Amino acid sequence: MNLTIDKIALLLGMSLMLIGLWGGFTQKNLLKIILSFSIFDTGLNILIVALGYLPGRTAPIIDGSAVTPENLALVAIDPVPQALVLTAIVIGFGTTALLLAYALKLNQHKKSLDINQFTDLKW
Amino acid sequence: MVSPFYILIVGLGLGFLLGMTGKKQAALTNMLTLFAMAFFTGVSLHWIQGLYTGAFQPSMVFSAGFKPPFSISLFLGMHEAVISLMINVLGLISVWYFREFLLRDSKPLGAVLLVMFMGLNMLVFTRDLFNIFVFLEITAISMSGIILMNDNHHAHAAGFKYLLASSLISAFYLLGAVLIYFSTGSLYLDDILTMKSAFAPMALIAVFLMVIAIVIELKPFPANGWALDVYEAAHPGIGAIVSGAVTTTMLFLLNKILVLGSDKIYLLTASVGALTFLFSNWMGLQQKNPNRLLGYSSIGQVGLVLAILGMKPVLGDGVEMIGFGVLLTHFLAKAGLFWLSGTVKGSSLESWAILRNNPVILTIFGIFVFALSAFPPFPSFYAKWELIIGLSGTGNYLLIALILLGSLFEVIYLFRWFGIVVKAESEESDSGIEWGKAAGPALFALALLAGGYFARNYLSAPDMMNFIPLVAVVVLWVLDFMPAWAKNTLLLAMVGIYSWFYLPQYSDYQLIFGIIFMAGAVLTLLYGYSEKGKRPGFYPLTAMMFAGLIMLVEATTLFGFFFAWEVMTAGSYFLILRGKKSQPHALSYMLFSFGGALLILAGFAMAHAVTGLWTLDALVMDSPLSPVIFIMLTLGFLTKTAAIGLHIWLPGAHSEAEADVSPMVSGILLKAGVYGLIVLFMRMGTQYIGGVDLMVILSWVGILSALIGNLMAAMQEDMKRLLAYSSVGQLGYILFGLSMMSNLGWLLAISGAIMHFLYKTMLFQAVGGVYSRTHDRMMYRMGGLIFRMPMTFIVVLIGIIALSGVPPLSGFAGKWLSFNAVLQKEYYLQGALAVLAGAVAFLYLFRLIHAPFLGQLKDNLRKVKEASLWILLPQYLVIAVIMAVSTVPGLLLERIGKLLAKTFPDGGLLWVDSKIPFGARTAISEYGYWNGTYVMLVTIGIFGILLIVQLLMQRNNKKVGQFNIVYSGERPSTPETTHHAYNFYAHYSKALGFLMVPLAERFWTWISERVHDIAHQLRQLYNGNGQVYLMHIMFFFLVCYFLINGGF
Amino acid sequence: MKIKNSLVILLVMAFGVFLFQVYKQHQTQGSLNKTAAYYNTNTPDEVGASNVVTAIVVTYRGLDTLGEVTVLFLTAMIVGYILRHGGKEKPMKNNTSEILITAANVLIPGSIILGVYVFINGHLTPGGGFQGGAIIGTAITLMILADPLGSVKKAVLHITESLSGFTYILIGLAGLLFAGGFLDNRILPLGNLGNLLSAGAIPLIYSLIGLKVGTELSSIIASINETGNKTA
Repeated sequence: MNLTIDKIALLLGMSLMLIGLWGGFTQKNLLKIILSFSIFDTGLNILIVALGYLPGRTAPIIDGSAVTPENLALVAIDPVPQALVLTAIVIGFGTTALLLAYALKLNQHKKSLDINQFTDLKW
Repeated sequence: MVSPFYILIVGLGLGFLLGMTGKKQAALTNMLTLFAMAFFTGVSLHWIQGLYTGAFQPSMVFSAGFKPPFSISLFLGMHEAVISLMINVLGLISVWYFREFLLRDSKPLGAVLLVMFMGLNMLVFTRDLFNIFVFLEITAISMSGIILMNDNHHAHAAGFKYLLASSLISAFYLLGAVLIYFSTGSLYLDDILTMKSAFAPMALIAVFLMVIAIVIELKPFPANGWALDVYEAAHPGIGAIVSGAVTTTMLFLLNKILVLGSDKIYLLTASVGALTFLFSNWMGLQQKNPNRLLGYSSIGQVGLVLAILGMKPVLGDGVEMIGFGVLLTHFLAKAGLFWLSGTVKGSSLESWAILRNNPVILTIFGIFVFALSAFPPFPSFYAKWELIIGLSGTGNYLLIALILLGSLFEVIYLFRWFGIVVKAESEESDSGIEWGKAAGPALFALALLAGGYFARNYLSAPDMMNFIPLVAVVVLWVLDFMPAWAKNTLLLAMVGIYSWFYLPQYSDYQLIFGIIFMAGAVLTLLYGYSEKGKRPGFYPLTAMMFAGLIMLVEATTLFGFFFAWEVMTAGSYFLILRGKKSQPHALSYMLFSFGGALLILAGFAMAHAVTGLWTLDALVMDSPLSPVIFIMLTLGFLTKTAAIGLHIWLPGAHSEAEADVSPMVSGILLKAGVYGLIVLFMRMGTQYIGGVDLMVILSWVGILSALIGNLMAAMQEDMKRLLAYSSVGQLGYILFGLSMMSNLGWLLAISGAIMHFLYKTMLFQAVGGVYSRTHDRMMYRMGGLIFRMPMTFIVVLIGIIALSGVPPLSGFAGKWLSFNAVLQKEYYLQGALAVLAGAVAFLYLFRLIHAPFLGQLKDNLRKVKEASLWILLPQYLVIAVIMAVSTVPGLLLERIGKLLAKTFPDGGLLWVDSKIPFGARTAISEYGYWNGTYVMLVTIGIFGILLIVQLLMQRNNKKVGQFNIVYSGERPSTPETTHHAYNFYAHYSKALGFLMVPLAERFWTWISERVHDIAHQLRQLYNGNGQVYLMHIMFFFLVCYFLINGGF
Repeated sequence: MKIKNSLVILLVMAFGVFLFQVYKQHQTQGSLNKTAAYYNTNTPDEVGASNVVTAIVVTYRGLDTLGEVTVLFLTAMIVGYILRHGGKEKPMKNNTSEILITAANVLIPGSIILGVYVFINGHLTPGGGFQGGAIIGTAITLMILADPLGSVKKAVLHITESLSGFTYILIGLAGLLFAGGFLDNRILPLGNLGNLLSAGAIPLIYSLIGLKVGTELSSIIASINETGNKTA
């Protein structure tokens, strides 16, 4: 198998996702669970960017020298994943912030961050 | 046309502005939020109106002025407009409903609600797959905000679990959306759709990811623990939003994306949905918290819609309409129930009993429960019909079974709840309901009725029904404020007029049963004049039951029959429920009836699939499936005739019902089952399974019902229970007669049905008369009533003579017929048992007259008066009829015989003129002859002579005063044992007790316990740990993935 | 516990297998697909931005971006709502170190200017409203860290946030009314490619986004900080 840079990034992103998942399923501390999911999200974002990579191309920004309006389509990579990932990052940030705020509130009530403490509702 | 972007502009613009307001502007904020929602609703209405009238066409708008796939496009068609109207109306009502919260926390809540509903609208319109992701997130995040309206740690924990789950779900979706872009180079749905046939493996994975993410948003079993906690912990108004608006949006979205999926994906969706429907309703059986119960029910209903949408490749585009029918019902009913929940304080099902303080609210609640259970005339009823018809047309029997079982479970908990609300002891009865909050439920209940009206148009079956009987229901509902006598007269008049115009149009069996039902209505309504006051609700419900019965007789199509069957079931359920202690019995009546109705539905659907016909003649067929269809339909009808094994609902339901309801549900309603059997047997004839004649089995069922029903009746101490069990026995005879499939057998059965109607109506009314004076049904507390209620005594006497088959009354004819029929058919063993059962019948009948009427008059009954005129009148009318048909049996039997000759040309009775006056005719069979008039005259002669002798000797009689029995200072701990009539047949009970072991009762109890055990085991899955819920989601995702892709 | 852990291992491994399927299916592309090709070919003429990603984010797929901003808006709102009515306990002692305070004083003005630069130049260089907003947010965070008891004027944050959001919507509306569609940037002249004042409404929109994101992030941090103060 020929490991090019995009394949390595792809594998890296996937590994991060798995690590995040592992943490999310095994950690008991709310904060660590949230962190694990952040890692998972990051892995996913890396994956997206890596998937959009075209070998040997550059950023889709016209700088007047290397990239011009005329050769943009030939030298620049696909700009869409960048735009999408930007959205995904921001949304991931929002979710994480909310989770943290929730964790803070839960901690206020039970003075604990153990997820096993919050199982009053069940069945 | 107003561009859909204006929803976004107004929603977001106001939302952003609300961000600057403070506490002081709470009222203004509230107003603005309300205004924006009203704007949304208005725009939706404008679209629907415009699209409907053709003022504008379905159209696409593009953001930023570039064409897709390079920009984001919104599509607006009729479907989108309708869904957005549903969402926005719910939003508008929600804002109104939450006004106290909005006044308190106006800034965040108003803005979040606005943005949320804007997001839902956009999800409906957008055609861009990545844009969907963004608005999904907006929805999820807004949800996590409004959950906090209840500021307690339950809500916080639920919100946290919800957020964790939705972040995992959105990761799936995001990955899917990105992969589809890499694979197809587009994010525009319609663009991608054109490439569907050439999808690379990557695109398949992408579609799977997106579909599964939306499916998980729709809370499939078992990946739905997070949602249940939200339903339970959040304010019920939020339950309404989640269950109504969010779910509707997600389903629409799913339907939009599913078109990209392969047939495998559709199949997966259908299976997941059906299993969710089944298991969610199953677990609902164990729920005690109303909001969590509603949560389980919501998840179940959504599962059903998923299953329906997933059937698209099999059933075609029609599934969208079916799915919409279920969805609309769910949407309206569930939102309404959640809103009602917000007005009820307390978190037990019992606390809902407060609803019954107000009849309007109670009616609304009833509408929701019946709509969810898919009764007519609600949209879900039509959807259920279409679905089962469609599925059986394609041979998906497993799916049918799953869906029917799931809906049975749903009905169990819904009606248990309904019974509690109507009947249970209420802990708190005076705390009020906030009336302002009942406006939403009221509106939605009306919408349900309207939806049902429109749903009819989408029916594929021809529906040639006469809806006039239902008009009576509506009229009486509106006039329910009037006094009982007025409504009684009105209904009586309506029955009379209807019979006058319609009965002459009937023929054959229709006519016989039409007369039974209409005469039954008259008899019971005459009794109704004895009731004082208003009897709220009684008359519309009575009208509903009789409407159902008469529509059943008139039905010529499968659909019409089923429709009438359900109307009748609903009406009779309510009537039974009106009894003081009838709640558990009404529930078991409902469950057996509903189970039976499901079998009937499935049977009809299969019959239609085989023959392609919509009329009842679809049952005429010759196919490998016929025995199966036959068994299902027979079982369905036998639940109504209470054959042994399926009878356990009957004794309680009939005996605990009100005095004039008992004759209706016993004397009259049971005949509906008989009619069903006749319709079935006429068309399907004798069926064999593995060479076994099913009719022989049925004859045994019939004869055992007769024997055991009669035995049980003999052992009762309660007069009404006695009569109830006697019905089991009598109906057993009728089934036995029908199963013979011969002229004489059917003559026996049909005349038996008519006679049972007459006797049972009369006897139940007589017993009702006794009860109206003594307020007691226990025979061992009575005695000597012959002195106080002679007129009633005479009725019971005649009833007993007639029923027990002693000459000269009509029962003798029945007995004579049955011997002839048995001999002709050579059913010797069954015949012997029939004789035995007849003897047992005499035992219980003897008790009925002996214990209450004969013997010493009890002290406490000395001042009892005769039953009132209105109670006696119908009884004496019946006596007149019995006398007439006994004296001139040819009046009835000969006519029926003629009719039967069409079906069974051979083996009937031969009628010849005799020399006796009145033109009476003699019946001749293979084995002998019989002339009713002759028998009557002889008997009257003998009795006349004896009477004269008795009168002549009367002066020798010596009057004996009554003793006051004293127990020598002892007070017996069980006073009933001092009554000579108590446990009268203890000796028989010892000898034949083995026949009366309540096997059926034990069997059904066992079933019920197992079902509830399993429900309890299943719900252990939801252990409350958010992390475990995440694992459920991941597990669900992976299982689905590997199922689709067959492993590696 | 052991059972649970092995279940987790199984789940994670199975998910790994799933990801590997994705990996296997992935082929490195040699050329742009049609959407990307369209953007890379037409952006200079149609939108007038040098940064194609910005053109997509703000104009072509502007609706997504508006959604993102909304997500942040909601987040800020809800975080404040979750952490509402904290107690009235005495604030804890201010024990921020001198180094932090000094560094903050030096860094904050620079960071804010950098943030503004990043979002104003979003259409020309890498960066944009979100990045600039994040930098501003960082500056405010630093401010709060340095002086946890000092009152960040939340009212000012909210008003800035709301007004910039509202204006953003109005600009979008202008696109709908006066140009090709909602969020069309051609309501203003496209100007010369590469100039600061070019690409139509993009610099305006991105500035508003930058302001909005900055204030939203700040108010999230401020909310969390207040709660920490009150309950500790």
